[in-house]
Amino acid sequence: MSADPATGPDTRPDPDALLALAAREGHGRLKVFLGASPGVGKTYEMLTEARRRALGGADVVVGLAETHGRAETAAQLAGLEVLPRARLPHRGQMLEEFDLDRALARHPAILVLDELPHSNAPGSRHPKRWQDVEELRAAGIEVWTAMNVQHLESLSEAVARITGVRVTETVPDHVLTGADAVELIDIPPAELLERMRQGKVYRPDQAARALKGFFREGNLAALREMALRRTAERVDADLTGYMRANAIAGPWPAGDRVMVLVGSDTTAEGVVRHARRIADALRAPLVALHVEQPGKPGGDPGAALRLAEALGAETETVVETDLPRAILAAARSRNATHLVIGRSRPRLWRRLTGRTLSAVLVRRASDFALHLVPNPTAAGRPRPVPERRRLPAWMAWASVPALVLAATAVGHAIDERVAEGSLGMVYLAATVAAAVSFGALHGLAAAILSFLVWNFLFIEPRYTLTIDGPQEILGAVVFGSVALLLAGTAGRLERTAFTAQARVFGLRRLVEFSRRLGAPMDRAALLALIAEEAQRVAGCSCCVLMPMSGEDLPGLGLPRARRADDTELIIRAAAPAAAEPDEASLAAARWAYAKGRASGWGTDTLPATAWQFRPLPAAQGVAGLVGLRFAERSEPLDTERQRALDALLDQAAIALERIELMEERALAAARTEADALRTTLLTSLGHDLRTPLTSIRGSLETLRTMGEALPPAARADLILAAEEETARLARFASNILDMVRLESGQVALRREEVDLPSALEAAVERAEHATGRQVQRRLGPHLPAASLDPVLLDQILANLLDNALKFSGAAGHVAILARREGAGVAIVVEDDGPGIPREDLGRVLDPFYRASRTDRVAAGSGLGLSIANGLARAMGGQITAESPVRDERGTRITVRFP
Amino acid sequence: MTPPASSLVPPRILVVDDEPQIHRFLGPALAASGYEPMRAEDAASGLQLAATRSPAAVLLDLGLPDLDGQDVIPRLRAFTAVPIIVLSARDGETAKVDALDAGADDFVEKPFALAELLARLRAALRRAAAASGQHAPAPLIRVGELEMDFAARVARVAGAPLKLTPREWDLLAALARAGAGRVVTQRQLLNAVWGQAHGENSQYLRVYIGHLRQKLGSAATLIRTEPGVGYRLGFPE
Repeated sequence: MSADPATGPDTRPDPDALLALAAREGHGRLKVFLGASPGVGKTYEMLTEARRRALGGADVVVGLAETHGRAETAAQLAGLEVLPRARLPHRGQMLEEFDLDRALARHPAILVLDELPHSNAPGSRHPKRWQDVEELRAAGIEVWTAMNVQHLESLSEAVARITGVRVTETVPDHVLTGADAVELIDIPPAELLERMRQGKVYRPDQAARALKGFFREGNLAALREMALRRTAERVDADLTGYMRANAIAGPWPAGDRVMVLVGSDTTAEGVVRHARRIADALRAPLVALHVEQPGKPGGDPGAALRLAEALGAETETVVETDLPRAILAAARSRNATHLVIGRSRPRLWRRLTGRTLSAVLVRRASDFALHLVPNPTAAGRPRPVPERRRLPAWMAWASVPALVLAATAVGHAIDERVAEGSLGMVYLAATVAAAVSFGALHGLAAAILSFLVWNFLFIEPRYTLTIDGPQEILGAVVFGSVALLLAGTAGRLERTAFTAQARVFGLRRLVEFSRRLGAPMDRAALLALIAEEAQRVAGCSCCVLMPMSGEDLPGLGLPRARRADDTELIIRAAAPAAAEPDEASLAAARWAYAKGRASGWGTDTLPATAWQFRPLPAAQGVAGLVGLRFAERSEPLDTERQRALDALLDQAAIALERIELMEERALAAARTEADALRTTLLTSLGHDLRTPLTSIRGSLETLRTMGEALPPAARADLILAAEEETARLARFASNILDMVRLESGQVALRREEVDLPSALEAAVERAEHATGRQVQRRLGPHLPAASLDPVLLDQILANLLDNALKFSGAAGHVAILARREGAGVAIVVEDDGPGIPREDLGRVLDPFYRASRTDRVAAGSGLGLSIANGLARAMGGQITAESPVRDERGTRITVRFP
Repeated sequence: MTPPASSLVPPRILVVDDEPQIHRFLGPALAASGYEPMRAEDAASGLQLAATRSPAAVLLDLGLPDLDGQDVIPRLRAFTAVPIIVLSARDGETAKVDALDAGADDFVEKPFALAELLARLRAALRRAAAASGQHAPAPLIRVGELEMDFAARVARVAGAPLKLTPREWDLLAALARAGAGRVVTQRQLLNAVWGQAHGENSQYLRVYIGHLRQKLGSAATLIRTEPGVGYRLGFPE
C-alpha cells in the first residue's frame, strides 16, 4: 500500500521547506506520477509541473522524457533544460540511454526522469532505471518520475491475469512505498479510449491495434482500480459491473476476502446474509466457514451452508476443538481480510472473564477486520457460540506451581491426621490435573515439583530432600511412575486427537472434492479443479500437465506448448494461473510421464529441480501429471497431507478417466451414425445405378444374341427400353450432380416472372408422357405471378411428380394443386400411395432417405425430395411433407414460395 | 442357346422383380431361349404363381416392395424344391450367403450378363432334373476330368486315382453332391464336413481346399472360389 495519499495541488507542502529538509538529510525526494495505463497523461502532467517550477526559478532539469511522438507532451518540453542522452554501442548499434553520470555531474535540484520501470541498455551501470533513481537520490537530487501501476512487482501477476499481458519490466514495491509523494494521474477509461481513438496516444495504426488488445475497457478499468487502490483506498463504482461480469478470471488476489463463521443455530442464516452484503460492498469473495467441535452438541449447519453456497460463497467445514484457533487458521489459509461473526449472547461468567468468542478474536485476530453482526432473528435465547476453556501459555505454566501449592495447602491441613504416605495422593491429584488440563510437559513438571515439595515438606526426615526407609522409597517410586505414566498418556491422547482431527479434516476435504467432481463438467473445468484442489492440499503452486493430443494441433486455446523430445506435455491447468514449470523441471516431468513414477523435488529422481511431479494413474499408463512447486527449503509433506494428496490424485484420475470415456463414447456414437449414413448412401447409389444398367445391358444383349428370333415389336420395345433406361440413368446422374451442387451451395439463381399455370402444365405433361399415367390438376384462381427461377422450379416439380408417381404405384392417383397463400403461393403434390411412416416424416427431406428398406422401392427415388427441398430453399421457399393424408394412406408434399 | 432337350412343354420360369424394366427384356430373352416366362412384381404374387403354376425355376430379386426377397426363399422352400436363382443388386457378400444358406441355389449380380444368367439357369435345371430322377445319391459323379466313385470312395482325375484323406474326400464329395456348378456356402461345407460346431472356421476350409487343389493337379481349376461366399465344383459352361 502506498504510504502517501494523493498529493493534491492545495495540500502540497511548501517545496522550499521540503527541499531544505531533504538537503539536511542528504537524500533527494522522490515523486512518482502514477497512472493506470499508458496514455493517461503522466509525462504531460509531470512536464507541465516541471515547467511551472522552472518558471518559478527552481533548478529543474529533464534527464529523459518519452513523448512517444505526442505533440502536446513535446510542447511541454519547451523551455526546459534537457540532458543529452548517452550513446552506448551494442552489437554494432548505438543505443541511446539516460546519462546517469552527466546528471550526477549536473546535480540539479530536481531531475525529471520518465519511465521508472525502464530496463537500461546493456552496458549501463545499473540494469534498471529505478536503481539509477536510487543513486540520484542518494546524491541528494530530487527525482520526479512516472510509471504505470501494472509495472509494480506485486501486481504483475494480477495484471497478467486480467489483461493477458505479462509485464517484464517491474519496479519493486519498496520504491513506490518509499516515495515521498505519489501523484495519481487518473482519467476515466472511456475518456482514455476516446483520446486513443483521436490518435492522441498512439499513431492511428498502432492505436487500432492497441484498442483491440491491451486497451479494452475492462482492462483499463481494472488497472485503474489498482492505481486507485495503490494511491488511496478509494473505489471506483464503475468497476463493480465489470468485475461482476466475470471478465476477470478468478478472485482478485490482492483484494479483500470475507470469511463468515456459520454456526449451527437459527441465527446463522441471518449472519450469512449480512456477510454477503459486506462482501458485496467490498466486492470481495465470500467464504463460509463452519467449525465442527468434537464433543460439543451442535445443530445442523447444512441450511446455512447451503444458503451461503446459493449466495455464491465457497463453503468449508473444519473440525477443531479450539474455535478461535480454527477460525484464525482457516482465515489465514484462505487469505481472508474480513471476519464476520454473529453477535452471540454468552453466559454471564464468560462475559465477566472476557472469554467470549468475540473477545478472544479481538485479542488474537489483530490482522483481520472483525465484523460483529447483530442477530436479527434472535427469537428466544440463541445458543451461545461454544468455545473452549483455554488459558494462555504463561497461565498454564503458572498453574502448575499453583496446583502444587494448593496440594501443599491441603496436605498441610490434613497433615498429622493421615499417614504421611497418603499425602502423596493429594500431590498425585495435582499432577493428574496438570497433565490432563495442560498436557504432558505440564504434567511432568507438576510431577517433579510435587515430588520435591512433598519430599521436602512431608517425608521424613522433613525439610530435607533425602528419603529414609523402604516405605518412603516405595512411595516415591510409585508416585514418580504413576505421574510419568499419566503425563505420557495425556500427551499421547493429545497427539492421537490431533492426528484424528487431521484425518477427519482430510476426509472432509476429499468428500467435498469428490462431490465437486461429481458435478458434470468438461475436461478443462475438471483439470482446473484438480489444480486448485492440489494447491489447497499441498499448499503450493500446482499445475496439471497432459500429453498433447490430436485436438491440440489447430493450436487454438492452448495455454503453453513446450517442445519435448518424445512426449509433448502441455500445461492444461495451473493454480495460480501463472504457475509454470521451467525447462529443467519439464525434463523431470517427461521422466515421470514415461515411467509413471513421481519425480523432481523430494524424490529420488532429479531432486534438484524446483517442481515435483506426480502421475495421475490411468487404466493404461499415465493420464497426466500434477506438478507441485514447493517453496525453497520447505519441509516434505507430512503423512496426513501426503495421504490426502494421494487420495486426491486417485480421485482426480478416476474423474479424468470417466470424462475421457464419456468423450470416447460420444465420438464412437457419432462415428457409428456416420458409418450407417455412409452405408445407406452407398446401398442407395448402388441400387439406383445398377437397376437401369441391368435393363440396358440385358436389353442390348437380348437383341444381340437372339434378335433374329424375336418378333419386330419385341425388338423395338427392347431398343426403347434401353433408351428409356439410359435417360433414367442420365437423370439420376444429374440428380447426383444437383445434390453435390446444392450441398456446396453452388446454385445460381436467375429469377424472372413465372406464369405458374403454364409452368405447372408443362411439368405435368412431361411427367404424364414419361409414365403414361394421368395427373389430376386443380389450379386455384388468381395465382400470382411468382418471381422464381423457371429452370429450378421445373426441376422441383419434376422431382415431386416423379416421386409421387413412383410411390403411389402403377394404380395410384396423383394430383397437383396450386393456390394463393397471402402474397405467396403454395404448390401441393398429393398421392394415395402407402404414405410415409410417421417416424420417418422428419427425415424424408434428408438426402438419400427412402421409405422403409433402401432397395425395396423404385429406383432413383432417394434423391428427388431432398433435391426439391434444396432447390426450393435456394429460392427462399420451403417444402413440408404430410402423411397420411386420408384413410391412413397418401402423401402430401407442399412447396411454399413467399 | 437351345432350350433344354427332351421337353415338349417349354419349362416355365418365374421372374419375381419389382422393376418393370427387368421384365421387359427378360421376358423376350427367356421366350427366345425356349422357356415360358412368368411375371410377378411383388413377393405375394410371386409366391402364388410358384404355388399354382409350378415353375421349373425361379429368378428372384431380393428387393421387393412387400416382402424382403430374403424372406421369400424360406416360404418358397416350404412347399417346393424348385431351383431359385437370386438376382441381387446388393453389395456385400452377406446378402448372397444369407440367400444361399436360406435355400437359394445360385445368384447373379446386377447388372448381369444375360448369357451367364441363362447358363446358370440351365445348370440349375439340370441339377434339379438329376435330383428328381434318382433319390439315392448317385454312385458315380463326373465333373469334367474328375470322377467320384462313391461306392469305392475313390476320386480319379483322368482315370488316375487320387490319394485323399477322409476329410478331403468328404469335402470334395460335399461339393460334388451339391451338383456341378452349384455354389456351396462356406457354412454349408463346414457343417457337412466338420459338423455344426465349426460353422465359423473358414480357415480350415481354405487350407483343405488348397490341399485338394494340389492333389487335383490338372483338374485343380474345377474347384472355383466365390469370394466371400463359398465354392463350386465346375462351372456352368
